[in-house]
Amino acid sequence: MNNTRRKFMKAAAAGGVAYAFGRTPGTVFAQSVGIGGFGDYKALVCVFLAGGNDSWNMVVPTSTAEYNAYSVSRGGDAGVGSGLAIPKASLLPLNPLNTNLNGVTFGVHPSMPGMQTLFNSGRAAVVANVGPLIRPTTKVQYQTPGWELPPQLFSHNDQQDQWHSLRGKSLLKSGWGGRVADVLLPQTSSQQLPLAVSLAGQTLFEAGVNARPYVMGSTGATTFGGHGTSGVSLARRQAFQAVVDASLASNTNTVYERSFATVQQRAVQFADSVNSALAGARSFTALPDSGSTLTSLSTQLRTVAKMISVRSALTMSRQIFFVQIGGFDTHDDQVAAQTNLLADISTSIKAFYDSLAEMSMEGNVTLFTHSDFGRTLTSNGDGSDHAWGGIQLVVGGAVRGSLIYGDYPLLQIGSPQEVGGGRFIPTVSADQYAATLANWFGVMDSDLAQVAPSINNFAVRNLGFLT
Amino acid sequence: MRSRIARAAAMIAAAVLLLPACGGGSGGSVPTTPTTPPPTTPPTTPPTPPPIIPAATKADSFRFLNQATFGATETEAARLIALGDSSNSWSRWIDAELTKPASLLLPAVEAAYPNPVPSGFNIASLNAPRVEKWFGNVLAGGDLLRQRVAWALSQIFVVSQVGALQNLPNATADFYDMLARDAFGDYRKLLEDVTLHPAMGIYLSMLGNQKAVTGTNLRPDENYAREVMQLMSIGLVELNPDGTVKLDGSSQPIPTYDQTIIEGFARVFTGWKWTCPTTLPACTFNNTRAELAPVAGYNQVLPMKLYSVQHETGTKKLLSGVTLPANQTGERDLQDALDNIAAHPNVAPFIAKHLIQKLVTSNPSAAYVRRVSDTFNNDGTGRRGNLGAVVRAILLDAEARPAVTTASPPVAPGKAKEPLLRLTQFWRAYGAHSASGKTGAARNFSGGVNAVFGEGPGLSPSVFNFYSPGYAPPGEIQAQGMVAPEMQLATEYLNTQVTNYFWTQANSRTTAQSAGLNVDDMFIDTSEEIAVAADSEALVNRVAERLLGGAATLSPVLKAQAKAQIERSTSTNTRVADAIYLLAVSPEYMVQR
Repeated sequence: MNNTRRKFMKAAAAGGVAYAFGRTPGTVFAQSVGIGGFGDYKALVCVFLAGGNDSWNMVVPTSTAEYNAYSVSRGGDAGVGSGLAIPKASLLPLNPLNTNLNGVTFGVHPSMPGMQTLFNSGRAAVVANVGPLIRPTTKVQYQTPGWELPPQLFSHNDQQDQWHSLRGKSLLKSGWGGRVADVLLPQTSSQQLPLAVSLAGQTLFEAGVNARPYVMGSTGATTFGGHGTSGVSLARRQAFQAVVDASLASNTNTVYERSFATVQQRAVQFADSVNSALAGARSFTALPDSGSTLTSLSTQLRTVAKMISVRSALTMSRQIFFVQIGGFDTHDDQVAAQTNLLADISTSIKAFYDSLAEMSMEGNVTLFTHSDFGRTLTSNGDGSDHAWGGIQLVVGGAVRGSLIYGDYPLLQIGSPQEVGGGRFIPTVSADQYAATLANWFGVMDSDLAQVAPSINNFAVRNLGFLT
Repeated sequence: MRSRIARAAAMIAAAVLLLPACGGGSGGSVPTTPTTPPPTTPPTTPPTPPPIIPAATKADSFRFLNQATFGATETEAARLIALGDSSNSWSRWIDAELTKPASLLLPAVEAAYPNPVPSGFNIASLNAPRVEKWFGNVLAGGDLLRQRVAWALSQIFVVSQVGALQNLPNATADFYDMLARDAFGDYRKLLEDVTLHPAMGIYLSMLGNQKAVTGTNLRPDENYAREVMQLMSIGLVELNPDGTVKLDGSSQPIPTYDQTIIEGFARVFTGWKWTCPTTLPACTFNNTRAELAPVAGYNQVLPMKLYSVQHETGTKKLLSGVTLPANQTGERDLQDALDNIAAHPNVAPFIAKHLIQKLVTSNPSAAYVRRVSDTFNNDGTGRRGNLGAVVRAILLDAEARPAVTTASPPVAPGKAKEPLLRLTQFWRAYGAHSASGKTGAARNFSGGVNAVFGEGPGLSPSVFNFYSPGYAPPGEIQAQGMVAPEMQLATEYLNTQVTNYFWTQANSRTTAQSAGLNVDDMFIDTSEEIAVAADSEALVNRVAERLLGGAATLSPVLKAQAKAQIERSTSTNTRVADAIYLLAVSPEYMVQR
């Protein structure tokens, strides 16, 4: 604990961030980890922005020199903004408590008033220029042949996998969320569901070495239509299970059949638990059950909130949820397309936070974003291309909010971390980002390298954005 | 083990090379070896007569047809068996398929336009007839093999109505038709057709891609440049001819391209946009599609046109050390650049392995990939990129036909069926149809076919397809270094959706209930099952013959459980439903051996 604490202070110093402690820091990293399990409840919610969010348009500098550099880089005019640049006057002001910004001011995209509220009220933090790295990297090092870099930079699926797995140049087949589940298996073995749950299909993020995630629907688990609780329909269920069990035990069938049977078996087992628990889930004013049309993202987040509301029935003390929103690969028509996407993120996340607050769980749940990569500052006419570092958001009652973590770069072609086309070498690694979240969640400092394999290459192991 | 496979494989490779000669069906099914040294002593026994090659079995035919079509049926298996002994029947069947014309989607979309098109008409609604026609084609079109290969190609050359193509149903339909037409043709032509098709132009934003503007931060779009190399031709790292990854001196993979090469191709792919209608010959790069569409759907299907004013004129760095000179025409740049990609040595193993994995097995041996890759590079007549020959080599390979050759079985034969192919095989096996004649209308699936099966034509969530070719589920598959790409779709959630689909189909959408169904509901013909429903043994066997190609392949537990469940009910409908359900959702039906 002392070690972690010391490293945290070092992190704060290294980042040059002077925290305006609105809350007593006495509970920093307090962990109620015991051999027998956790005495409290915590959840991590990963919101994956698939396609690579152009996050330089999500949180934008508004001070004159920095805005002008941004606007010109994006094919716009200094001062006002055009091309890909968001007009300066439309940006919603942020009030960061940082004392290291040297007069640089920031605003969020005009479609994100919810995010503005969360940030300015201390419930959200911004992590600037974060991305996959194996070790801290300067432009000179980047240009040095043989310098260790994550392979296949700027490629969608490879960089999604980097964010989710933190594999660097290794061939790891697991994700960091899955490895958190592996590490915490001893304390969570009595949970009725796997620690990691996805509402958006299979994801590498949640695949552990040993722990397997559970994939449910965006509104709940599906029950087996032909399987009942008595008579012929109960017997049908039993016959179905007997066939699955026999397939799992067989050594004359194929690996594919056994793999399939494993999923069938889990589907039967967990659907019962989830559905009987969800029958007792509460409703939320901010994410109503009916009467309003929710987006796909807010529907997923509503189900997450409902799952959290029935945590006791499912004997859950630690949960990781994965939800997804797509469409961020804005090579084309970016200005209009991204406006809708960012509005969805802002509205959905704010409503999710408010729903957590309705059941006083906002301090137990931390939502964070992942995305493939940041995008090029430069424009291809009406869109941007694949790049590297970008901005991620962290939201929740445990967030040390109203702060910008890391170094927000000068958005200028040729600036120190810029390596062509307006692509930025990250100054915070995805490993540090993950380690900070995992540490808050209950992973001991000594286990962080299992979750974030390159963390020992970085002086700062915890970025300090969670209390 | 490995060397035995390799040896057997080499023998088969030799046999396969002879196949074009015996494809016509004349003798020669047993290769002779003219250079055998004479024995030192005269044989004391008469020479061994040539082995009698039996006709293909039904089970073997089912395996073949599950690889080569949208699902084996007893009718098609019988037709295949009748074509001759097992060394000839496959080949003859393929020969016939290679010549069949493509069943198309576009005419169905065109026919579905209201005339006149009312203002405010929801153009995206015309994706529905496209999907319905696709089901009609793959279930009952004449071109079984062509449709299956087109489907495989559509997962390599991906466009989707999900996203920017939503309101261009003609383009999405015609792109698929183009894949079907090109399925047995030349890879280089396919690459060019894909590149210039407006559906791909919209989907990966090459359509409207402009040259750089000097003095600004505007530069060409890199989207298509990147994905055409990563996903459609060469992949990310250099490959050996057998599909294995080439390593450098420090045992690291060697990237096939870097950012400067992507930028080179991005510059090549500038200046292309909608082609001009004859009514507006003076159209320009700046014309919108609406301005160029005198009638609904017009020019969504014509190849893109070059507008040289927006073509980048400088030099362009390409693959293999090639740099295109400045000031070539845009058309010339495009031809040279596609030649440059198609000539890359990765293309053969890359395409070979992808197609093998889609059609036959998730984990082909390197030798299998090598043999198909060799066929890609030379079809036997010196021609490179002959996709028909590649498909033939894939299906006739020893590793695809183990029972025929008695070679050692490969390590993990077969693959997980794609969820959608579990449905199409089932529908084909049971002659599924609807009263309206519409096939696979959206109302059959809660939320659309992709919501239940995780897949659907032109419905991929992104250019990365429904699942990744490298996906390995945790457990023994991952531990053994193998992959099972289709298992990425087999989540608890989707498996349950699919399982429930089969229950609904078997229990309440059959000929017996057809009178009460919606006219668009697909129902299956269970009359043969109903005829034997009183006999649980006969009933299970009937379903196994239909779905698995033989009662003998049923595992004892599945058979016993199904029989016991049938016997629990006196209702004919329930007995038939249980038999079909328990087999259709079993691991045995899910695997393609």
